Amino acid sequence: MLNALVTGGTRGLGLGIAKALASSGFQVIAIARNEGDAMAAAREQVARDGRGALHFRTFDLADIDRIGDLVKTLRRDFGGFYGLVNNAAIGTSGILTTMPDSAIERAVRLNVVSPLTLTKYVVRSMMTGQGGRIVNLSSVVSSTGYSGLSVYSATKASLTGFTRSLAREVGPLGITVNAVAPGFINTEMTRDLNSNQLVQIARRSALQRLPEVVDIANAVDFLFSEQARNITGTVMTVDAGNTA
Amino acid sequence: MSTRSVILDEIVRIAEQQKKKLAPLTDDLPLLGSGLDSLCIAVLVATLDDTLGIDPFDRDGDVPFPVTIGDFISLYENAPA
Repeated sequence: MLNALVTGGTRGLGLGIAKALASSGFQVIAIARNEGDAMAAAREQVARDGRGALHFRTFDLADIDRIGDLVKTLRRDFGGFYGLVNNAAIGTSGILTTMPDSAIERAVRLNVVSPLTLTKYVVRSMMTGQGGRIVNLSSVVSSTGYSGLSVYSATKASLTGFTRSLAREVGPLGITVNAVAPGFINTEMTRDLNSNQLVQIARRSALQRLPEVVDIANAVDFLFSEQARNITGTVMTVDAGNTA
Repeated sequence: MSTRSVILDEIVRIAEQQKKKLAPLTDDLPLLGSGLDSLCIAVLVATLDDTLGIDPFDRDGDVPFPVTIGDFISLYENAPA
């Protein structure tokens, strides 16, 4: 089984991605600070289904100095990586002028420095293996903007630049690098949006609804597949036509 | 097999794999004049991390990038165990 690492893979979007990749036959290693009931249930389900595998490892991705050691340990335990999904992020919201400096720095560390550093170490095992797949979770707000999400948007926009440049850097080795930009979906991260805002976003979308976790998970699953072998350096928007 | 031999063998293997023409490998040959491009050197570093368990360019490896083949080999030969 090919190994795929999914950050923040124990709840919300990350869990949906981890389950989708496991059902496609990958051995998924989800890392997050806590396992949680949903992840434990998903692991039991994947074991029952008998297709793919789902493992959990505890790690705080804000602990950037230990990321190199984490990857060494995971490679020792599971072998080299074929895939990486940089999903973990903090959904910092608030007006910039009143946001604590520490909140800005924390968002940049977790949403930018951490995935860049993790990718540095994980991509090495792809370099010595048979190619690989990297998917970075961006957001539609990185291109459209949204009041109260300036810091979050900045971090997500940085991942699209990272995606395009890294795609060029590692393309000759058969490694694809893409981003998926979800629209607003109902997860814990969007809890600061009230239901009226979500209804309004759905009304303004071409399909008159919000995308769901499974839609984003399917996009990642496709980018991991052989069918996507010639897709790299792109941003795939999954927003039910909100930005159409 | 010595560290030097492992590195030189890997350079030859990666050059073949990436279809690069290698210059005769001597200690004073500039690394980027050897025929390997920067991506090949990244693959070399990743491979040596696997085979030798040494990564001079990790978070603590705040070292200037070696200029010649000899400098590169020395970096690995003198790496702390």
